[in-house]
Amino acid sequence: MSDDTQRDEAAQASSRGIGTDEWVAQHEQRIATSTGPLGAIGRWWLGLPRGFQWIIPLAIALLIPFATSNDYIIRIGVNLGLFLLLVIGLNLTVGYAGLLDLGFVAFYGFGAYMYAFVASPQFGIHWPTWLAIPMVIIVTGLFGLALGTPSRRLSGDYLAIATLFFGQMFLVLAVSSDAVQFPWMDEPIDVTGGANGITNVDPFAFFGFTFSSVTSYYFLLLGLIVVGVVATLRIHSSRQGLAWRAMGEDALAAQHMTIPPVRMKLLAFAVGAAVAGLAGSVFASVQLGVFPSTFKLPLLIMLYAALILGGMGSVPGLVVGAIIMVVLPEVLRFPDYSNWLFFIVLILGVVMTLKRWKPILAVFAATTAIGFAANGIFLALGVPYLTTAEWAEGPLAPVLGAWVFMPEDRTLYGNIAFVVLLFAIAWMTTRSHRTRLIALPFVLWLAVFTWEVRLLIEPSVTRQLLIGALLIILMATRPQGLFGKPRVEVL
Amino acid sequence: MEYFGEQVVNGLIVGGVYALIALGYTLIYGVLQFLNLAHGELYMMGAFFGFFAMIALGGPSAAVVPVWIMIPVMFLVAMGGGAALGVAVERFAYRPLRKSRRLAALISALGVSLFLQSAALLLFGARVRLYDTGQFIDLTSGFSIGSIRIDVTEIMVVVGSLLLMTILWFLVNRTQQGRAMRAVAVDQDAAVMNGIDIDRVIVITFALASGLAGAAGVMSGLLLFPVDQYMGIFAGLKGFTAAVVGGIGSIPGAMIGGFIIGVVEALATGYLNPTYADFIAFLILVLVLLIKPTGIMGKKVMAKV
Amino acid sequence: MSTPALSLIDLTKRFGGLTSLDHFSLDVATSEVVSVIGPNGAGKTTLFNVITGVYKPEEGKVLLNGVDLTGMSPEKVAQRGIARTFQNVRLFLNLTVRENIKAAMYGRTKASLLESVLRTRRAKSEDKENEERVLDVLSFFGTRLQGYRLDQPAYSLSYANRRRLEIARAMATGAQVLLLDEPAAGMNPAETKEIAEIISRLRAERGYTIVVIEHDMHVVEGISDRVIALDHGVEIASGSFDQVATDPAVIEAYLGRGAAARK
Repeated sequence: MSDDTQRDEAAQASSRGIGTDEWVAQHEQRIATSTGPLGAIGRWWLGLPRGFQWIIPLAIALLIPFATSNDYIIRIGVNLGLFLLLVIGLNLTVGYAGLLDLGFVAFYGFGAYMYAFVASPQFGIHWPTWLAIPMVIIVTGLFGLALGTPSRRLSGDYLAIATLFFGQMFLVLAVSSDAVQFPWMDEPIDVTGGANGITNVDPFAFFGFTFSSVTSYYFLLLGLIVVGVVATLRIHSSRQGLAWRAMGEDALAAQHMTIPPVRMKLLAFAVGAAVAGLAGSVFASVQLGVFPSTFKLPLLIMLYAALILGGMGSVPGLVVGAIIMVVLPEVLRFPDYSNWLFFIVLILGVVMTLKRWKPILAVFAATTAIGFAANGIFLALGVPYLTTAEWAEGPLAPVLGAWVFMPEDRTLYGNIAFVVLLFAIAWMTTRSHRTRLIALPFVLWLAVFTWEVRLLIEPSVTRQLLIGALLIILMATRPQGLFGKPRVEVL
Repeated sequence: MEYFGEQVVNGLIVGGVYALIALGYTLIYGVLQFLNLAHGELYMMGAFFGFFAMIALGGPSAAVVPVWIMIPVMFLVAMGGGAALGVAVERFAYRPLRKSRRLAALISALGVSLFLQSAALLLFGARVRLYDTGQFIDLTSGFSIGSIRIDVTEIMVVVGSLLLMTILWFLVNRTQQGRAMRAVAVDQDAAVMNGIDIDRVIVITFALASGLAGAAGVMSGLLLFPVDQYMGIFAGLKGFTAAVVGGIGSIPGAMIGGFIIGVVEALATGYLNPTYADFIAFLILVLVLLIKPTGIMGKKVMAKV
Repeated sequence: MSTPALSLIDLTKRFGGLTSLDHFSLDVATSEVVSVIGPNGAGKTTLFNVITGVYKPEEGKVLLNGVDLTGMSPEKVAQRGIARTFQNVRLFLNLTVRENIKAAMYGRTKASLLESVLRTRRAKSEDKENEERVLDVLSFFGTRLQGYRLDQPAYSLSYANRRRLEIARAMATGAQVLLLDEPAAGMNPAETKEIAEIISRLRAERGYTIVVIEHDMHVVEGISDRVIALDHGVEIASGSFDQVATDPAVIEAYLGRGAAARK
């Protein structure tokens, strides 16, 4: 705990009289005493009745399809919905039961393929939706059970590796099963469509209503997520939920308190898998196809990143984490939007860390000065450069053009800047507060330079880089994520 | 029979490379009880570092120094660079997590892995590199066992890996620092109380492990395996398998495990579908985990309840 | 003669070359309080571990009310009616006090996951029962773990309260036999006295059968119907507190041969 919090605690404890429990440093309390605009927003939000805190995001989500006719945005909404559903499932396995399942994406794929098997021209079977979906859920749940069974005695690292293997194995199987020779058949049959997957999958159809537009799937997913969130909340304090969480805390002690470890592990696998399977079936039908390249490791890492960023076991955390993970890459695709986002995050970061106006202004002033100084140095060195018109886009262009030096050889200078930036940040973490403050403007300039010169034009690499860095930084500074509660560990 | 022999020999050669990677895993796990999932990426970086050292010296076709200087330089650069990178990763990604749960360190390792892969992609580009060893080493020289040819590069790799393993064994078993490492591996708290500088031991461990991985990267490149930012994933997992099969935490185990995995993989590639060969290693891993998790040389660790 | 609540017959546990328990036998009658004492390394915690199924004994049996539980896994032993606390308190630290206790009620309830999610009648009534049981169990400890404390994480509790919570959690499993491993360790004299009272009341008011491992002789003296002294896995004395405390073999085990000769 920080010194401030301890002092607050002691003050509050003594004001309540002797013998009162000293543990007072609650989230809400800190918000009540914190200053600045963020504190005010926090106070307003927490002041709302519980129900409103759920209704507002729900209302926003409901209104989006009516506010825009841009199909692309609704598609992002659908992707977000699928992602969030997966995160909800993953939360049960990892967040509650503490089982590091690195093969989770295989369940997603399994569900998608299962649905495609019974609702596409692949085998000529076209089950009605009300039959197909429950089947997929149950079968994927059983698949989860099957995967969990050999793993039931493994824990921690070994479980992670074993599940990773199963996940990879599934992918290989899916990609190479386009010519499977069964002994009783004359010719090999195409089971999974190989690397091309299965196409022309049937859309959903309930009660005569066919899901033909993306918007209909959007609302379906919204409904599923509401169900998922409510279920998660109820599971949290349910008999099984408590058993999982106890297991996650201290498996041996939990076992001594009547909790059966193997059964709970298998249940966690099965339920997580079932949810993923459901998501898979929706995915297959909204995409009208199943493609194995979806179910790879990068998706899994993004799911984990969302879970951890938001805070495991915290439902608002899941939602926020998922939103960030899905929306961020979309924003990165558009340089002007991502530019805005970058600067907002950078400025917010500085403001939130430094807190007081004087240092903030000093740092920004220094950074600006360094920028111009650097330009001077580059020009003096005769480094070939691009004019503002040649590279800058969007409303910020004139400002950026004047302040950021854009060398012609973006790759070379960008790379050098990137490496220097990494060194600089690493070095900064070992220094005292004062030194950090002095070095900050230089590092900020370097960050902007690296971003504009190099990272902006490589959105896919940048996204990976950021996710990797995010995981590392989160674990080192705030392992409980944005909304999780700080945990106490006994080692 | 000849074909079999060829596969076995190939397997042993590649197995030496796997053994080096496995040693890295086992060293870190032995000292910290932590599975460094990002270890494969250090192997990948080593391969790149060695490649760029080669290019800097004019290679592969127009080397400005004789081969017998260029190759050691490549190794030194890869091993030094790898060691430095490994130490940096420990210092900034893992050290803050020493008192946290296992899960946190594993996630951080995933993050490091992703970060290093992306950094490699950003800095080196997506182009696959080849060492093109044939340009500076006469691949026709070498010797034969019966009709099985072993060229100079392969000899170099085998000799190199055995040499490094011997040096490592010596360092761990016959030096003061090695003793400190073994002490920390057995009981960290007791080691601290006996005046051992834990941070230093851990840094040395990571440096050694990552240096070995770097060397393995160069060897892999010399053997004409393609060098790209994804090469660490599978090699890392195979190295990890080798470490587990041999008994995680056991140095001789890692060496044995490496050779076993190499040979099994070579036989699988030779006699079965090459696509599945990658997964033979995994299959073995899972089987070992389920049947005898402590591996061939591993000891059962009792925890006080 | 009625069936003893807990019957340990010829229990033997070896770890490699070390024999931790050597043909140890003990019958504990229903609602009896038996203390197990002995120097460190005597095999006391191993005894508990064998009873609860963490270790399978090489030889011997564990019977609960005549039913053979030998080698059953810990969750089954707990479900059958033997619960324990740990030498170094093992609470679910990040769970609240209430959740710690409710988690232990897993074996007494039946609602499936689906029922809990759908809030069926059975799920709701079981939950209501559990809430009542939580209050009932905690009421045993007076005002210590009441009110707002129930919803605070276990890590915020003081050491003494943590030990009490651990006992409460063991009670919550519905077991009738409690194995308490050094319940008074690390407590000051006032807290120690309180723990001794709690143990006596557990037997007097709720009829628990209790086996206690303790080092604090004041506690042992105050609560025990019988005392068993253990050393190197073997019973070296048994009887009332006075008998065992003055037994030369016991003195030798604790203080060495010279001390025993001087007595």
